[in-house]
Amino acid sequence: MKNYLNILIVSLFFAVMAFGISSCVSEKQLTEAKSGAQLWAENCVRCHNTPSPTSYSDPQWDVVGLHMRVRANLTDNETKKIIEFLKSANN
Amino acid sequence: MKKIYLLSVMIFSFVAAVNSQSVTNNDYKTLSDNINSITPKNTSFMVRGYSHFGLNINDEQTSFSYGQFSPIFLWKQGSRFIFETELEFEFEDNQLNIGLEYANASYIVSKALVFRAGAFLLPFGTFIERYHPAWINRLSSKPLGFGHDGIGPSSDLGVAVRGAFQVGKSKLAYDLYVVNGPQLKTGLVEPEEAGMLDFSLNTSDNNKNKAVGGRLGFFPLSSSALEVGVSGYFAKPGSETSPFAGDSILGSLNYQDVSVSMYSIDLSFVKNLGSVGLIDIKGQYNYSSLSDANYYNPEEDNIYTFKNKSSAYYAQISYKPISVNNSIIKNLELVGRYSAYNTPEDALWNSKLRQYSIGLNYWLTWRSVIKLSFDNLKNNVSEASGERNEEEEHGPLLGNAFYIHWAIGF
Ligand code: HEC
Repeated sequence: MKNYLNILIVSLFFAVMAFGISSCVSEKQLTEAKSGAQLWAENCVRCHNTPSPTSYSDPQWDVVGLHMRVRANLTDNETKKIIEFLKSANN
Repeated sequence: MKKIYLLSVMIFSFVAAVNSQSVTNNDYKTLSDNINSITPKNTSFMVRGYSHFGLNINDEQTSFSYGQFSPIFLWKQGSRFIFETELEFEFEDNQLNIGLEYANASYIVSKALVFRAGAFLLPFGTFIERYHPAWINRLSSKPLGFGHDGIGPSSDLGVAVRGAFQVGKSKLAYDLYVVNGPQLKTGLVEPEEAGMLDFSLNTSDNNKNKAVGGRLGFFPLSSSALEVGVSGYFAKPGSETSPFAGDSILGSLNYQDVSVSMYSIDLSFVKNLGSVGLIDIKGQYNYSSLSDANYYNPEEDNIYTFKNKSSAYYAQISYKPISVNNSIIKNLELVGRYSAYNTPEDALWNSKLRQYSIGLNYWLTWRSVIKLSFDNLKNNVSEASGERNEEEEHGPLLGNAFYIHWAIGF
């Protein structure tokens, strides 16, 4: 039991730290400078081939975007920019 | 008279036509209003999935195999909630098996915090969660020890948090989860498997404690090309009571204090090197250590123990000449992988498996691939060499295997 308590405390510490860091260091500094197209080219290929924007419709990209944000642990900013780009380039 | 008759017919038809026109317009408006009112604004549903099949040629047989179909259902509600589930229909040993790969709900709590609950693939390393689907895995086989009966967990029931955020030029991704955890094979059912862990999905745990685990992924380069991850997983896999309870001698064998600690290191480097092509390097090392326990060997009618430590790793490199100006060549891919799996020396399931694999792939679309690959598998434990690898009944055969395999994501 004590063991689990320790682990829980360590986990909480991590979570708090994560929040702390994410709120101090503004994500905007860096990824904001990158375009959605660049983030798309850099990130999707890490696990599988990069899908082209025309693979899906706008509403479908919304679902895929949220799915990949969760499954691939993408940042909020990456997801928003990439999906915005894919939706603008799929006609 | 005739003229008047004709005129009135014309006027009547005109009025009728105009009238019917306005009726149609009205109808159209009500219809489109109706459709708009029932068209979901916030709910989207999507069915995707993958399948794969092919020819498997090894030293013993040639068979068409791998009949698998995995539908994936995604349901998004609003901008923060998503439900994902995957079923696995697999024809294996001449029967249809239906499995639940995962079924979970995720909620975006804040920018760097996602809450998940249900059955999900565990981020213990990266292979199981990210690279195992047939249209993602570059080779037909999985690395040794990374399958469903491998050394680490695959999917489990519980709750989790995850998130990713920028730290200066780098990026950090974290995962923490609490799940039911594995169950220790005590040897009661299969004596030769005593001391192994069973990671299959369980809706009721065999004890009161839960397994906890987590992963930290670090992206040192601003391009996200390189990711290094460390994972840990801790559990108590034994049941509260002795499986041999009631037996005057074996009843003393108890596993409630057995604990397992597992660690993993993973690496991924994917870079488009311009005119050279696309290079993809992946690797993972898993280590598992269980505390000592006594097990019963019915064949020799004795009680024995062993240092229960296992490890498995793989390293893979693949190359795609994507910038070549030839539509066939640029869709080709070359892959090489080495993998190893060591199980405890004095266990009845002792093995030292080594495998090297090479493959040539042709990508038909971004999610559809024809893979030609070759595996060579050896067991370095001398007495077992040349025999069938008994430790995994459905596991790979020792020796050579050649695969022609088509994987389609849809
Ligand atoms: C960390 C790994 C990873 C990254 C990065 C990643 N994906 Fe995926 N993606 C997956 C996995 C794993 C699946 C398969 C899900 C399954 O079969 O369970 C998948 C499936 C998909 C699918 C199929 C439909 C679905 O939602 O399952 C699409 C489309 C997709 N990814 C698009 C993208 C796009 C676009 C990006 C870039 C923003 C991206 N992926 C980045 C791992 C990743």
